[in-house]
Amino acid sequence: MILEVRNLARRFGGVWALRDVSFSVEEGEILGVIGPNGAGKTTLINLITGHLRPTSGQVVIGGSDVTGRRPWVIAHGGVARTFQIVKPFRGLTVRENVAIGAMHGNHHDRTVHEALATADHLLELVGIASRAGAAPGELSVADARRLELAKALASRPRLLLIDEVMAGLRQQEIEAAVSLIHRLRESGITIVAVEHVMKAIVSISDRILVLHQGAILTSGAPSDVLADERVVEAYLGSRFAKRRLN
Amino acid sequence: MLAVQPLIEPGTQRLLATVFMFVALAQGWNLIGGFTGYASFGQVAFFGIGAYTAAVLMTNYHVSFWAAMPAAIVGGVLFAVLIGAPLLRLRGHYFAIATLGAAEGAREVVNNLTPLTGGGVGITVPTFGAQAPTPYFGKPGFYIAFLVLAVLSIAVCALLARSRFGYAMVAVHEDEAAAGAVGINTTAVKVVAFAISGAIVAAAGAFYAFQQIQFYPESVFDASITVLMVIMVVIGGSGTILGPIAGAVGLELLSQYLRINLGLYNQLIFGAIIVVVVVFFPQGIVNFFRDAIRERRFSPLDNIRRYRL
Repeated sequence: MILEVRNLARRFGGVWALRDVSFSVEEGEILGVIGPNGAGKTTLINLITGHLRPTSGQVVIGGSDVTGRRPWVIAHGGVARTFQIVKPFRGLTVRENVAIGAMHGNHHDRTVHEALATADHLLELVGIASRAGAAPGELSVADARRLELAKALASRPRLLLIDEVMAGLRQQEIEAAVSLIHRLRESGITIVAVEHVMKAIVSISDRILVLHQGAILTSGAPSDVLADERVVEAYLGSRFAKRRLN
Repeated sequence: MLAVQPLIEPGTQRLLATVFMFVALAQGWNLIGGFTGYASFGQVAFFGIGAYTAAVLMTNYHVSFWAAMPAAIVGGVLFAVLIGAPLLRLRGHYFAIATLGAAEGAREVVNNLTPLTGGGVGITVPTFGAQAPTPYFGKPGFYIAFLVLAVLSIAVCALLARSRFGYAMVAVHEDEAAAGAVGINTTAVKVVAFAISGAIVAAAGAFYAFQQIQFYPESVFDASITVLMVIMVVIGGSGTILGPIAGAVGLELLSQYLRINLGLYNQLIFGAIIVVVVVFFPQGIVNFFRDAIRERRFSPLDNIRRYRL
């Protein structure tokens, strides 16, 4: 088991963003996490990567309890992530952005020179090698997402958490992202994919976890989850669900 | 260098020594304020601590300058770690104000440690005869000393900028959450950048103390020295190696020229020139020319529009 989340909870003031969430992820698995806006998806990622401290509960990665550890400690343990709102290092080129992950992440390169070579390889993999010298601000939405993914991959993760990398992409771009995620899994990376775009996530996930109002609504095989009326209700509202059943 | 030296008048040597000192100070500030993005408004604390550490050791304990100067650097590093660990959790204005306060506090401590520092009446480093732990360098000596200090500061900063640590500083500057996510220990990067920055400024303070012979807490903890470092880096181009050099050389020479030739109104004109340069080149001269050459856009008016907030 590469990731285990036990009774994880986080409160912001009087609001529980996440309540008593427990699940685990097996090595090599792709777990999709879906849920309506405000369900706690991004909070969950932030708690796993150390960008937020949980109010209670535990995060266990590769068998060791990393609850409350700082983000770089967790990154060095082989966990990488993307941010829903992309966070490029704006003053650097696309190539340098990726190289930073290769310089400082898990099993990092010793020199800047090696890291830049790693970056070139990853830019090729995600398909933006031609933009290596550009500033991140010059990239399209889709390319900025690819950069975000390349930055995360540069730290050589065993576990990759991706936060809505497909939001706002066109059909063709989504297909490219899906095939990339498949290739990453084949290379041995375990993936937790938070998505709002249902169709895409269903096609790539082995298992789906549905979050609703900070708690797990249900989890299981994609087809079972989609057939669950509570999921339809959470996404589309109870009236729609009832109408469909009638 | 030694062959050229007699060709430079003593007065010019003194002026150039000051220019070189500001090159080192600006390089030092640029590490934390420019590359790492934490604008320290208390940087003069390192200058004062360096000056007093060297002077107290030389005066009270008869330590040679060459031992007192490294001790001053250690003092700067210790102070950086001591105040950096808590203060580098603050961002933006809060960090600026907190460091300003820390520097004022450091001055008052020196002011009140009368048995050691002489307090408000100042300290006088013995420079002649058997009392002098190290013979005074004189104008040519300090000219060379500050030149070497400036060159070493530039070399240290240039090497750092090209290293993994240099990229880590820039990543912290751009986005700390993203930097942490790719494995950068942001706390360590900030504290180390602050410490190296403090070490460079403290070394300059030690040389300045010896050069001045006599000085006071008010003179080596003067907040306007911090302001000069900031202006030199911002006008020259922060987060670059050439920027602080251009800013320090340009502004120090300009300031001296105006003082000699304009008399009463020199400060007013100096201030006005700074305002005009900042309005036209908000990203700094070096960054302006780098972008202008790359994009072939040389119009300063165009530049104002682009950087208007």
